[in-house]
Amino acid sequence: MPELKFTQSQEMLRKAVREFVEKEVKPIAHRIDVESSFPADVFQKMGRLGFAGVFVPQTYGGAGLGQTERAIILEELARHAAGLAMALMTHHLGVEAILAYGTDEQKAKYLPDVATGKKISGLAVTEPTGGSDVAGQLANASRDNGHWVINGRKCFITNSSNAEVNIVTARTGEDAKGRPAFSAFIVESGMEGFSPGREEDKLGLRGSSTGDLLLNNCRVGEGSLLGGEGNGMRMALGLFTKIGRTGMAAIGLGIIRACLEEGVKFARERVIYGKPLAKLQAIQFEIAQNRIDYEAARLMTYHSIGLKEGGAGADAEIAAAKYFATEGAVRAAKRTMDLMGGYGVINEYPVGRYLRDALTTISCGGTSHIMQIIVAGQTLN
Amino acid sequence: MPDRKRALWAVAEQTRGKLASVTPEVLGQARRLAAEAGGCEVAAILLGKDVGALANDLLACGADKVFLVEDPALELYQNDTYGTVLHRLIRREQPEVVLFGATAVGEELAPTVAARLGTGLGAHCTNLALAPDGLLTMGVLGFGGRLHTEMFCPDRRPQMASVKPGMFPPLPREEGNGEILREEASALLSGADIRIRTVRIVKEEPEGMPLEDADVIVAGGWGIGGKENWRLLTELARELSGATGCTRPALDEGWTDGEHTMIGTSGKTVRPKVYLGFGISGSPHHTVGIKDAGVIISINSDPRAPVFECSDYCVEADFRKILPLLLSEIRRAKVPA
Amino acid sequence: MGELNLVVLVKPVPDPSCYDRIEIDPATGALLRQGMPAVLNPADKHALEEALVLKERFGGRVAMVSMAPDSASETLMEGLAMGADEACILSDRAFAGSDSLATSRVLAAGIRKIGPFDLVLAGNESADGGTAHVPSQVGELLGVAHLANVIRMEVGPGGSVTARTRIENGYIEVRGSLPMVVGVRREINTPRYTSLMGVMAAQGKPIRVWRSEDLGVNAAEAGMEGSGMRPGKLSRPDYRRKGEILKGSHEETVRRIVAILRAEGVLG
Repeated sequence: MPELKFTQSQEMLRKAVREFVEKEVKPIAHRIDVESSFPADVFQKMGRLGFAGVFVPQTYGGAGLGQTERAIILEELARHAAGLAMALMTHHLGVEAILAYGTDEQKAKYLPDVATGKKISGLAVTEPTGGSDVAGQLANASRDNGHWVINGRKCFITNSSNAEVNIVTARTGEDAKGRPAFSAFIVESGMEGFSPGREEDKLGLRGSSTGDLLLNNCRVGEGSLLGGEGNGMRMALGLFTKIGRTGMAAIGLGIIRACLEEGVKFARERVIYGKPLAKLQAIQFEIAQNRIDYEAARLMTYHSIGLKEGGAGADAEIAAAKYFATEGAVRAAKRTMDLMGGYGVINEYPVGRYLRDALTTISCGGTSHIMQIIVAGQTLN
Repeated sequence: MPDRKRALWAVAEQTRGKLASVTPEVLGQARRLAAEAGGCEVAAILLGKDVGALANDLLACGADKVFLVEDPALELYQNDTYGTVLHRLIRREQPEVVLFGATAVGEELAPTVAARLGTGLGAHCTNLALAPDGLLTMGVLGFGGRLHTEMFCPDRRPQMASVKPGMFPPLPREEGNGEILREEASALLSGADIRIRTVRIVKEEPEGMPLEDADVIVAGGWGIGGKENWRLLTELARELSGATGCTRPALDEGWTDGEHTMIGTSGKTVRPKVYLGFGISGSPHHTVGIKDAGVIISINSDPRAPVFECSDYCVEADFRKILPLLLSEIRRAKVPA
Repeated sequence: MGELNLVVLVKPVPDPSCYDRIEIDPATGALLRQGMPAVLNPADKHALEEALVLKERFGGRVAMVSMAPDSASETLMEGLAMGADEACILSDRAFAGSDSLATSRVLAAGIRKIGPFDLVLAGNESADGGTAHVPSQVGELLGVAHLANVIRMEVGPGGSVTARTRIENGYIEVRGSLPMVVGVRREINTPRYTSLMGVMAAQGKPIRVWRSEDLGVNAAEAGMEGSGMRPGKLSRPDYRRKGEILKGSHEETVRRIVAILRAEGVLG
């Protein structure tokens, strides 16, 4: 088995992203967390640099790269601002939906704007009944005179108040076996009957907006149907795995690295009993555990993405990576707080934010319980 | 000419008839080097238009003689004209050492002349020593003040160096009876290839006390956090009849009065009696500029701030708590009991 | 004005954020640079940005020239990713120990080898050595007009140049014309970020490596032999002081500070 090694251009890409993040994102990370605000201007800049359309072909204004490069971007972003990474990761869900399932007309219409970050995208599946229970959703769409009329309420939707190009799923009838069938629609902000609803006050990942999307007799044209009638469920599940969970794994990985680096910095600089904290073995163990979690999460994340890019199913590997990286982020943040003592709980230091962000990643893209169910299912079958 | 005295030259800098503050520093150091090595004479080179009155100042600052080159073409500094005159004078007189102030102008003129002469040049020297055999030791700082290197120019002449402003105190003025040599400017300029024209030199003389002259400097860094808080620093400086200084990050944030208040490797070297630093972490870029301060007092809420290592007194506290108290305490102290 | 042939002088330097970790080998007295990654000298990015803006306006090519070991190609890729068209590394053991003038000779030879140029831009100084000599000396050696400390620059349609150079508490305004060599200060612009598209495009751009014989630089002109300056002892300056911590309440601390100010005789 070959070593996991990034190409020279991937290393350069990481460096370029890191430079941007350190100059433009790190300085605002604390503020967007405190204010729970999405920095639209920074997102625009990210778009111009290719982050928003990293895996979109250059013919549509993207960077023409793949999911590994996307994960590098998310990891680097989450190193300083996991909330903003969350907004980008969700944007990619909408972008991939159009790229993978859109007609040529839909791609030509939407991709140039979303790939360059001019317009923000998102995916709205979850309802008050649940997210991973895709079949339980109640939103419905019916044909009316060459149009679709969509009704329903989506909740816990990331980018709800910022996205201009929303991919919304709704029940559109039943399949041959009498089970509910779902379809996806491209719904643009400002369309009649469509509006963002309440916004949530989240524990973490506060640099992204999360809230309701309300569809009240929202009429869209036939051209808004995405991926064909009845394909909404398959599409949503595919996106959850390929984009959602890989993205969350990369974000968890970025948080672990943040904890690792902050912990090392603190342990080197903080002097106690006349010597740096780093000289104490108990502290060395905490640093080692952070490093081990980072190494494992890194291998699992990039390896599972590599498998998927190579055409394998990789559902279990991706679920395992999502589980491990996000749970690892929680562990790493807790450990880092422990080693920092009193400083760990002071909000001037970022570790408290890392812990809140880490806890919040667990519920995004399927909880740790769901991830284990997927891994178990794939293992036992 | 074996018995001729070795000549140490200091290139004077003037703008609109005013000597740059570094010029007396360079002359003073040349004088000290001459005394160190023995058997040397110190000459100042002055270029400009109608600047003859400054020649006596240069004698008073330590020069044995002044080469005075006056010409309308030299009114405004420009590297082709100034470089040509200096190059020709140096070729003719063959001094042992030529020193420049490492100002923006010196930073351009010195390498220009060194390139024409094909000799070595020490940059932004922070110390200089001259051996009796005439070899100049040039101490330079690199890596943002973290590395000191001794440089030599053993087998090319003259030995040239630019001197970092603020490093060497000028000598007390002594009305000298040196010699002023008026040079024929047109000869020194004839045939010069003048490729750039200086349109104007704009000086924006800053308000307030210059950092170089202040007994007390109140300096702030990135930790100050904004313009509002910066005003408190300025107020304290005014109360102490001192000057306000800053670090590069504070300058970049736009809180300060401008680049002339920046202290450190890319800014000024200062030597106040007391330096009070607020919200300064203490990167070597900054601390190298305050190493000659009398007493350094640092106030920082982070007990790990490296600035504490190079401070005489350390206050581990939020400057927002300390500054207002300090202001009122000083006001009270100044009221005669 | 036609297209511009632009040259940017760049130098890979040890990452300035690592300068706190500088050590001197106690045995050899040499500088230890281990663990300090090389980056593009920060001021050089401003020079490259200025060149890219001019290229966008007038068309033409931007070539980077660097006197550096072969391994510099990795750092130069950063410049190619920002938008430079090609890179030339001037690399030879014979160049080791070059002072600023010998370095400028090598760079001038590299610039000549590329061909006719309109404008050579460089960062005013490097973060490590920081002599700020190279722009002026390269200008002298190429026999063209040169400016250091440039903070603003405009190239007119006929190749005229208006520029401002920074001096203490002010600036100098100058006029001249191309060809020219300029050293720029960071105030001149804000370098662009490298885009993902730029990273991809960089992969196909040429990086040439030229030795002393390619450049026609002989041993007497470069390296130790071609240099007037010789380095002597290296040391780490020690700025440490006693570091007494003023303890007690804020009020007590402030009274101590005032007492110190009075003892130093600066309380008016």
